[in-house]
Amino acid sequence: MSEVLLASLRLSVDLAGRTVLDGVALTVSAGEVVAVVGANGAGKTTLLRACAGLLPEATGDLTLGGVDPRQTAPEKLVRLRAYAPQHPTSAWDYTLAELGTLASSAAEFRHWQERFGLHELTARKLSELSGGERKLAHLSLTFSALGDAYGKVLLLDEPTTALDLCRAELVGRAIRASAQAGAAVLVCTHDLAWARTCERVLVLSEGRLVSAGPPSTALTAELVRATWGVA
Amino acid sequence: MKGHVGTLAFAALLLALLALAALACGSAGFGWGTNGELFMLRLPRVLAALAAGLALGLGGANQQGVFRNPLADPGLTGVFGGALLGIALLLAGATEFTWNHRWALPAAAFGGALATSAVLVWLGRGRSTTKLLLTGLGLNAFTAAGTLLIAARFPEARDILVNGAAGDWLGTATLELAWLPILGCILAALLLLTQASGLDRLALGEDMAFCLGTDVAQTRRQGVLLTALAAAAAICLVGQVAFIGLLAPHLARALVGPRHRAMLPLAGLLGAGLLLLADTLGRSLWPQTPISAAAMTALLGAPAFVWIASRRHE
Repeated sequence: MSEVLLASLRLSVDLAGRTVLDGVALTVSAGEVVAVVGANGAGKTTLLRACAGLLPEATGDLTLGGVDPRQTAPEKLVRLRAYAPQHPTSAWDYTLAELGTLASSAAEFRHWQERFGLHELTARKLSELSGGERKLAHLSLTFSALGDAYGKVLLLDEPTTALDLCRAELVGRAIRASAQAGAAVLVCTHDLAWARTCERVLVLSEGRLVSAGPPSTALTAELVRATWGVA
Repeated sequence: MKGHVGTLAFAALLLALLALAALACGSAGFGWGTNGELFMLRLPRVLAALAAGLALGLGGANQQGVFRNPLADPGLTGVFGGALLGIALLLAGATEFTWNHRWALPAAAFGGALATSAVLVWLGRGRSTTKLLLTGLGLNAFTAAGTLLIAARFPEARDILVNGAAGDWLGTATLELAWLPILGCILAALLLLTQASGLDRLALGEDMAFCLGTDVAQTRRQGVLLTALAAAAAICLVGQVAFIGLLAPHLARALVGPRHRAMLPLAGLLGAGLLLLADTLGRSLWPQTPISAAAMTALLGAPAFVWIASRRHE
């Protein structure tokens, strides 16, 4: 039985007087890749941000790597989890090499940069990269922050958005490799085909967890119809 | 950073040469003048301009980093206006006390700058950086109006406040009056240099900065506090001057890239150079009718502001 690295119970978030996440319970164990799916506005990003410790106002029980991320200093949290936002931004036009210096390990960043096929773009500024290349550059930062993946939690918000098939495949392999190295991975995605390759799927609708389990049972055609309104 | 040491050394050398040239510039032309003229008049003025420019360049770079916006400048976001209003309130309420205690003016300026910064952060919470800047522009106008109102109501403080609002205090610098604000500028500059790593990560957004191990709230708090300190110390030397905090970081970023470890010190050196150049030109071009350093920097800075704004895609 693998160690549970991320767990929540009755996790709720109210933003601007609206309940965005309502009593979500989840567990993600080492070596597991769990997909979070749901229509736009279902609460996927909020769930991921709460798990990353970005929403101190979240209520309910939450444990990440044995600590409550809402009560833990960022310099300690960085050793327990890595997070990639859906829309990475940069106020300044860093080159890829400069971006790498912001990583906790420049060598790790270079490793992921090469793995994602960005090694020839080191001198390029972010504004000179395509949307997909920019996304991969920021993902390199996230994966390098994970370092030795064993016992850590990887939180990815739509990591393959803006990527072509080949690069989405590269990211998929990186996610799988991190899990095999002992990380617990939680991924928000709209790609239901990819979600079906994960160990488990969580389906959110209007902030509530409406289905959870292996894809074959949690992501039935009936549920897809009911949640997304499509066949 | 290694590759930028040469650029920083070259900028420091140019600054030293500029300081020598500024020392040699007098109302009667180029030359060292008498000992009294050199050490009592020009040296304090040059030191004050260097220290204030250093603090302004670093303060501007820091505020741009905290607000993640290249248009932020303590002179435009009301921080300077708040510092001057703090001075005005003290002069109006306790004139005698002010002149009997050397620390009183810098302390009042720091209080005013800090209060304006707090209002700016409070009014701008949860808003985009563009709206935050607009809020700052509003605060700037409000504090300027407050200062002018006090200047109108208290004739004994009128001249000093009007000159301060025009950024025309460098000409009155003496070592006796200036040493404390100069120390304040140097202290603020040294502390601002320690913010580099947090500001670099903040550039990636609050979420990413937090997830990379940065205490975002603390970085912001320190940024606001240190910018207020830099602005307060600088305003005691120059008066209200805009655009140094805007131009210096922008030029520094163009020369050494956006990483704050190299950009911050260069912004400080360029800020010192720009203010000293503006002051020296202002008093040398037409010695009979000198122009304030603030007017000279505005002549250079306003077009640059429009240019930077037109290049920003938001």
